[in-house]
Formats: sequence, structure tokens, C-alpha cells
Amino acid sequence: MSSPEVLVIGGGPAGVSAALELARAGIDVTLCEQGPRLGGAIHRQPDDPTQSVRVPRSHKQRWQAMSDELAASTVKVLCRHMFAGIEATGAVLLEDRIHGRLVTRRPAALVLAMGAIERVAPVPGWHLPGVVTVGGLQVMMKSTGRAPDGDVLIAGSGPLLVALAAQMASLGNAPVAVLERSTRLMSVSVIASLLRAPAYLWEAAGYLLTLARSGILPRRGAFVTAIAPRDGRLSVTTLDRHGRERQMLVDRVALHDGLLPNSNGTMAGQHGPFIVRAGDCREVLGGTAALADGRLAAHAVLAQIGKAVRATKVPAAILARERQAQAALNTLFDYSGRDPAQLPDETIICRCEGRTLGQLRSMLSGDDPVSAREIKLNGRFGMGACQGRFCAEWVASFVASQRADGSPPQASEIVGSRWPVKPVPIAAFVTLPPSHPSE
Amino acid sequence: MAVVGAGIVGMSAAHFLSRAGWQVTVYDAGVVASGATGSADGAVSVASKKPGPLMTLAVAAVKFYEQLVATGILVDEYLPRSTFVVASDHEELAVLERHAGELEAAGVPIRMLKGAALMAVIGAAAPTAIAAAEVQREGHAVGYRVVERLRQLGGFAIRRNCRVSGFESSNGCITGVMTEQGTEPADAVLLATGIGSMHFLAESGLIRPRKGQLIVTDRAGADSPHFPGPLMSCRYLVSKGSQPADSAVASRSLGLVIDPLRTGQFLIGGSREDRDDRETADADVVATLLRDAVALSPSLAQLRIIRVFSGLRAATRDGMPIVGHVGGAENLWIATGFEGDGICLGPMIGRLCQQMICGESPEQDISALDAARFGLTLAAAA
Ligand SMILES: Cc1cc2nc3c(=O)[nH]c(=O)nc-3n(C[C@H](O)[C@H](O)[C@H](O)COP(=O)(O)OP(=O)(O)OC[C@H]3O[C@@H](n4cnc5c(N)ncnc54)[C@H](O)[C@@H]3O)c2cc1C
Ligand SMILES: Cc1cc2nc3c(=O)[nH]c(=O)nc-3n(C[C@H](O)[C@H](O)[C@H](O)COP(=O)(O)OP(=O)(O)OC[C@H]3O[C@@H](n4cnc5c(N)ncnc54)[C@H](O)[C@@H]3O)c2cc1C
Repeated sequence: MSSPEVLVIGGGPAGVSAALELARAGIDVTLCEQGPRLGGAIHRQPDDPTQSVRVPRSHKQRWQAMSDELAASTVKVLCRHMFAGIEATGAVLLEDRIHGRLVTRRPAALVLAMGAIERVAPVPGWHLPGVVTVGGLQVMMKSTGRAPDGDVLIAGSGPLLVALAAQMASLGNAPVAVLERSTRLMSVSVIASLLRAPAYLWEAAGYLLTLARSGILPRRGAFVTAIAPRDGRLSVTTLDRHGRERQMLVDRVALHDGLLPNSNGTMAGQHGPFIVRAGDCREVLGGTAALADGRLAAHAVLAQIGKAVRATKVPAAILARERQAQAALNTLFDYSGRDPAQLPDETIICRCEGRTLGQLRSMLSGDDPVSAREIKLNGRFGMGACQGRFCAEWVASFVASQRADGSPPQASEIVGSRWPVKPVPIAAFVTLPPSHPSE
Repeated sequence: MAVVGAGIVGMSAAHFLSRAGWQVTVYDAGVVASGATGSADGAVSVASKKPGPLMTLAVAAVKFYEQLVATGILVDEYLPRSTFVVASDHEELAVLERHAGELEAAGVPIRMLKGAALMAVIGAAAPTAIAAAEVQREGHAVGYRVVERLRQLGGFAIRRNCRVSGFESSNGCITGVMTEQGTEPADAVLLATGIGSMHFLAESGLIRPRKGQLIVTDRAGADSPHFPGPLMSCRYLVSKGSQPADSAVASRSLGLVIDPLRTGQFLIGGSREDRDDRETADADVVATLLRDAVALSPSLAQLRIIRVFSGLRAATRDGMPIVGHVGGAENLWIATGFEGDGICLGPMIGRLCQQMICGESPEQDISALDAARFGLTLAAAA
């Protein structure tokens, strides 16, 4: 009997780590990444190797070591292969973007390491062209090796804001301002927790120093209240912690309000493979944790298919430490976004379908407790191309905030668990050979 | 009045019953439109109906939708349009011509399109199409939107997540409905429970689930070829059993309709499978449907699919819906078994149920749907 195949989805640190650990145990592993290169969010590689963004040396070394081991391993790497879901008979669907076709696999186990999705809390005008996410801008910069041009405003909350700002400054185009919503301060206990994972402190210090040299200090307690088009640019209204309003004219706005696991609704079906999640896709704990979590996922797979697992407590200990550090870090930020009560009715909530907060509010008026499914079908929230991956969480929590009856809807009721997890070209789908040739 | 089932049939009946003076409560085991009504296409169409009572009723149902628009009940929820049944070979053409003749006999306006006329009208059709019948004066309505509109108009109460398990009766009369949340009094009951109806009936195997898978695409660009209405492959007629399956095309179980939605998206479907796993969709069926769709209209290959969903139709043994009185209780009625036609027939059936329950004579002849043909009686457990 040939050894069972394991499929790993996602070529970031978690996926690569899981694939390597499985290969070390002699398992036949295939690693699928939708993009052209491995690396994930943190180790994103440039399109042109001579044009790279400066990243902390420890990051570079870590990725180099993994790439080397991968090259020498038995792991089969498939780039430009997107995981599209698991269909009824249990087959895993992959969109092969190199050949423009759909292929199926029937692995014994599936490791999902698809990273995080960025959360952006709605504000009026956030759907306009020129408004992007902080992570999206960073990925673009890492790919092209160039800072985005024009005047850029960075706003929201989280460590990613200063990371992007510093990287832009190093590439010669510092943002015009960084607005960090949070006013929370470091406490002794937070510092104590972070000292156990000091890399974060060093990284942050490096970024802040770079920014200070460019004359930029994050404005804490400030946030965006509205964005509107003006003369081909974006007019942004901001409020600071003292309640002072300000207008700025910029070319781009980069927003970010935290990260969420990219679970995309995939569930183990009756006939499908054994599924384990790893890295940010399971719990958003950052790059170091993702490496450890990849190994843990591999161990879970090995246990499931009856292979001996080398006993080690190391990855679990790393995970515990990183979880504590992340928890400490999270106390410094404020991912709540603008209070919905302050948002005007015209605010777009579902960007795919252009549905507004006013439409959501009117669905919830009246005594009849409309269900999540009805909000989705009739309100069209989550019915567009992204199928709710970007608005479902916000819609669900807004509905919960309006309901006192203790039956808050879940984001999963809006996203659902159907495939494809992302749009698939029909041209690719029709290439799928029939598994039962028709009579 | 207790109406069991918040699908299009139950909600339409609740609407008309409440207007006729009943105090109505609708009970649903799930939420509004969580059954077939929420996972269907919305062809309000005569084009695919079997000749006979069903075709006649469908003609009346289309008129009923027009009436609901005119009276302001379904404003904006019904889109009049033609359906185009396309034949791609001579066997299909023979089926098409026979079916077109029967539709015309039932009073449906038909225009046959061939050659240059066909291409001029249906820009999106493949060059391999040899003929099409334009079935005029029908339309489209989205089941869950119709139901939402009726909910907004109000006049009756809805109890979600409240499964009805049986009835309390005395002297051959139902006096209450038993739910998970307790027993509530009722003077009359209408079962509009779709595939869930068997729970209440003594007969077994009368209604069976027939799964359908539907594909949703993203929006087509403004420059994409013209779809004047839904394109239906002639094979659909065969899979739906509207025409006797006597030719080589008969072995297919996948009928094909490409339905251009108002949003610019398309619904492509659907399969007819005798199974009940409603939450899943399989790649084989989807790939086959898509291949057939691209063969019928090559420009679809430029789009992407964003979702595949499936629903369960309630298919009766003789392929006809069941509407009427259930034996074993004087004040119990049923309306179920609409298989692939409930969005089309639902609102009118709701009206006819109200007339039947109020002791008026229904404005359409529904004797062919009478529950008495199966001698339906209430299950002992209910
Ligand atoms: C935009 C962004 C920027 C970040 N920048 C930093 C930073 O500068 N510094 C820092 O310390 N941390 C950063 N983080 C945190 C970072 O996510 C983690 O540190 C780490 O990258 C998590 O690793 P992972 O392997 O779990 O996920 P990721 O590194 O996100 O890797 C997931 C991979 O899965 C692939 N994928 C997703 N869906 C599919 C699919 N359907 N089919 C196939 N492949 C798929 C993605 O293309 C990606 O390559 C960032 C996170 C994000 C989201
Ligand atoms: C894929 C697909 C495509 C279709 N396309 C079309 C089309 O184009 N045109 C057309 O006319 N028709 C179409 N149909 C058919 C149409 O959807 C159905 O005929 C119609 O929705 C039936 O409505 P209903 O109210 O009878 O049943 P349902 O909508 O199924 O409603 C029954 C309700 O009863 C509830 N229920 C069941 N048991 C209980 C209980 N014990 N207690 C409380 N509640 C209960 C259920 O939760 C459900 O909400 C399609 C169907 C499918 C699946």
C-alpha cells in the first residue's frame, strides 16, 4: 500500500512548517499555495528579487532556513493552486491557475493554513477606490519592492499600522499620518508578558525609531469618521482624542482593525478528509506561533493516520507563550471600530452588493425577530462575490447588539459552509473530467 | 388558524386567510423560507409544464402573479419576461415542436425562432442552436423575496424555530397544535410543510425528496452577449418529464436552465436527483451542468461561480401536487408536493386554500390535485 497523501493548503510559515514536519516523518505531502510564491503574509517574497522591502533580519534568516529545508525535502510544492473547497463526495477541489483547470484530490488528511483575513470596521466612504487595507498595501509593497506613491493615510488599530508606516518610510514615501484609535497604555503586566517574547518589543522599537526619523508619530486616540471623493483624491474627516475634527486630502487611505482567522466555512464533511487547521487560520497568534502550530497540526495528522509521533512539548510551549504575548499585545489596541450608533444610514456595510447600514437597520425594525438567514437572503448581506467573508462578522455583531433576546446570530450563519470558498472561473471548472463517464 | 410551514405556500395562504378574517399563526421548524422556497430558482413559467391540469394551472398562476402586481401586493417582486427553450439537434427539435404545439393549445403565446432570427433575439445562444421556442408572457419571482414581502405586509404572526409535532383533537376535530414550545389552540390547520409533510400522513413513501443543485455566478460585464430571458435546454423538458422520454436524450437526469438574474448574475441549474442530502453539492454534477451551459451559451465561460447550493423538492408519487382535505380530522387541510413548480403556483395555491377553507368554491379547478386521490389520513403519531 502506498503511503497516504496529505495536502497542506497555504504556503505561509504555518503551512510550510506543517509540510516539513510531515515530510520528516516520511509522509507524502503536497503543499498548495494560491499565489505565485511561498512566504505567506509575513515572508511575502518580491516579484523581482532585486527589489525587496527591508524586513527584520531574524525574519529573513528564519525564512531562508525553511526554504532551504523545503528545497531538500520530499514536499511537492504547487504554487498558483487555490483550494476551492471540499465537495459532496469528499474530494478536495483545487483551481490550478497555471493551466486554468480544476483538479481534484482525495488526500487522507488536509491541513488548512490559509492565514488570517483583515478586519476593517465600516466608515462612510470605505468602499471608495483608493481605500485599501493596511495588510493589502503591505503585501503589494513586499511584492513590488516599492512604496505606494502619493499621500497615504494609515488608520485603524493594531501593530500592523506602524509596521507598514515604517516600511513605507524606509522605501522613501512615509505616510502623511498614522492614526491609532487606541489610547490604552502599557502596563507593568503587559510589559512583563511581552518580555517573555521580546521579539515583538524589538520589532516595534525598530519601526517606531524609523518613523521618528521621518518625523512621524502615531496620533493615538485619533480615527477616521468619513471619506469622500474630492478632485480625484480622497477627503478624509478625522477626529482626535479631544474631539477636534480635521480634514485631510490624500491619495490613499489604508485601514485596519485587527485580524480574524480565515476559516472560510470549510467543514469536515461525511466523506471528506481529516481536517486540521494551523497558524493564523486557526488562531491569530503571529509568525512564531504559526511555525509551532504547523508542527502541532502535523502531529495531529500523524496521530490520525497511525504514525508514531516524536514526543516533544516544545511546540505547545511556544504556542502557550505566544498566546500570552498576543493577549498582552491586544490589550494595547482597540479593534472596536466606529460605534455603529455614530454611523449614518448611507454607510455601506456589504461592499460586494453595496448594501447600507440603513437597509440593515430597517430589516431589524419591528417586533418580528428576523433570522440571520433572512437578513442574508433579503438584505443581500453576504450574497456577493466574497460571500460574507468581509462583512458577516460585523453584521452578526451589529444584529446581536440590537437584540436583547439572547439569540444573537452567528457570522457562520451568514457565511455558510458551501463551496467554492472563493470564486472559480467556469472555464476552469468545465475541464474537470467526469468521474462517472455518462452512459 | 394554524398554518404549518413558512414557505411560499404557507405564507401565501396566511396572507389571504388573515385578510379573510382569520387570526393566523404560521409555525416553522426553521425560519421563514428555510425549505425549498429559499433554495430555488424562480421561474414563474408554463414553458416546462406537463400538458394537462398542471399546464392549465400554471397559466392561471402566471395571471395571478400579474394580478398581485396590479393590486400592489407584489410590486417589484415579479419580472415579466419570455422563456426560450432551445433545441440543439433534430431529436430535441422534434420534442420542442411537439411541446410548443401543446403550449399553444393551452393558450400560451409562442414564437418559433430559427436561423438569423434566433441569433438576433438570443445573442448569447451558441451557433449550434438550431431552433428556439420563445414562450411569451411569463416571468420570474424570487421565492424568498415573495415571502419576505408577504411577511412585511403582515396581518399574521410567525413562530420561527417552532416545529409542530402533532395535534390535539377531540371528536374528530383538531383543537390544538403541539409544538416544541407547548400546545397552542387552533380552530383549523393547514399543512404547508413541503418535504416535511410525510410526518403528518399515514401513507408512507408518497412524497419523496428530489434534490436540485444550482450554481450562482458573479456579475457579467456590460459587454457580454444578450440574454433576453432564461435559456432552457430542450433536454430539461425530458428530465422534468414534461414530454415522454422516448429518445436518446432521455437518459440525462440534468435539465439545464440558464437564468439571467436582475443583479447581472446567472443561476445555472439544476439537477433532479432522488436523494436528500440537501447541504452538499458535488463537483461532478456542477461540472456537467457547466459544460452543458457553456455548450448552450459559450460566453458564460468568462464568468466565475461564486456559490453552489442545493434544495429539496417535494415530489409526489404521481408527479402532481396535493391540495385538499385530510381524512381523520374535519378541520385539517394540506397543500404540498409542488416539486419544481411551487414558486410559480405558490401564491395562487395560497389563495385557493383560503377559498377552500372558507367554504367558498375555489376560482380554479383543483380537483386533479385533491388529496382524496390518495385517500390521505392523519398519521396516528400526529
Ligand atoms: C496582510 C498581513 C500582513 C502581516 N504582516 C506582518 C508583519 O509585517 N509582521 C508580522 O510579524 N506579522 C505580520 N502579519 C501576521 C502574520 O499573519 C503571521 O505572523 C503569519 O504570517 C501567520 O502565518 P500563517 O502561515 O498562519 O499565515 P500566512 O502567512 O497568512 O499564510 C497563509 C497563506 O495561505 C495562502 N492561502 C490563503 N487562502 C488560500 C487558498 N484558498 N488556497 C491556497 N492558498 C491559500 C495565502 O496566499 C498565504 O500565502 C501579517 C498578517 C497579515 C494578514
Ligand atoms: C433547486 C430548485 C429549483 C427550483 N426552481 C423552481 C422554479 O424555477 N420555479 C418554481 O416554480 N419552483 C421551483 N422550485 C420548487 C419550489 O422551490 C418549491 O416547489 C416550493 O418552494 C415549495 O414551497 P412550499 O411552501 O410547499 O415548501 P417549502 O418552501 O419547503 O416550505 C415548507 C416549510 O415547512 C417547514 N416545516 C416542515 N415540517 C415542519 C413541521 N413539522 N413543523 C413546522 N414547520 C415545518 C419547513 O421548515 C419549511 O420552511 C425549485 C426547487 C428547487 C429545490
